Amino acid sequence: MTQNEINWPAALRATDSGEQAAAVRALREQLQNGLRIALNGRSDVSEAHLEDFAQESLLRVLDRLDQFQGRSKFTTWAQAIALNVAFTELRRKRWQDVSLDALMADGERMTEPAMIADDVLGADEDRTRLVATLRHAIENDLTPKQRAAILGELREMPFDQIVELLGTSRSAAYKMLHDARRALKQRLHEAGITGADIQNAFNL
Amino acid sequence: MKPEDQRLTREQVGSIVKMLGLTTDREFNCGECLQHVSEFAEFQLASKPVGEVISKVEQHLALCPECREEYEALMKILKAGQ
Repeated sequence: MTQNEINWPAALRATDSGEQAAAVRALREQLQNGLRIALNGRSDVSEAHLEDFAQESLLRVLDRLDQFQGRSKFTTWAQAIALNVAFTELRRKRWQDVSLDALMADGERMTEPAMIADDVLGADEDRTRLVATLRHAIENDLTPKQRAAILGELREMPFDQIVELLGTSRSAAYKMLHDARRALKQRLHEAGITGADIQNAFNL
Repeated sequence: MKPEDQRLTREQVGSIVKMLGLTTDREFNCGECLQHVSEFAEFQLASKPVGEVISKVEQHLALCPECREEYEALMKILKAGQ
């Protein structure tokens, strides 16, 4: 039987401990091989890291086995989880020294005109008006935490790090960001700038 | 950091504008994207049209650089296995 033909959920739940152990070993190996392909060439990833990521991923997959609904191959589903585990850890290491105070202070500066130059998108009249409206909305429609969270996103801070800095849950942080984007979009809409206008005229 | 380094760049302001253009009232969060991204990746690999539910994955990937990074890595693995 090839690995593609294995009924992974059944094998991983097998009551025969030998069969289950073999499935666990095979899945761990498959996840580690996938991670090796995906992270090939990164100087911050060693073989020991791949082993740790694969082991952590395996535990996550086993913990979520009931969530697999068969809409894709099991191994594709498991590999997506493994990549999430690995990238989350790599991003966390990169950003672990950033403080919320620093991010909040930078977020507050987003409302200063100097932080967003009038002609940052070019001197075109429509774009200058867009920038002015955006700056006004950031200043008036967002909370300090929303400004900090958006700045964190712009600086490609990992979402988990933003969640940790804000001291909230993932769903609450996502809602905070989503609400912020909707508030800014609404303000642009009120100024006569629609989503379609943005996509068509400001295809950056 | 120097004051001029704190200024938002053209790319960053462009990113805000682009994010706003893609924002909808109901969209997937990262957890929902992860639940469906394997299905989306296999559809993409097979060049099949995606349904309404997993089209929300595509929309989320356009907004979220982290999920996009993981999706691209997944596609790399799937292509290597073809």
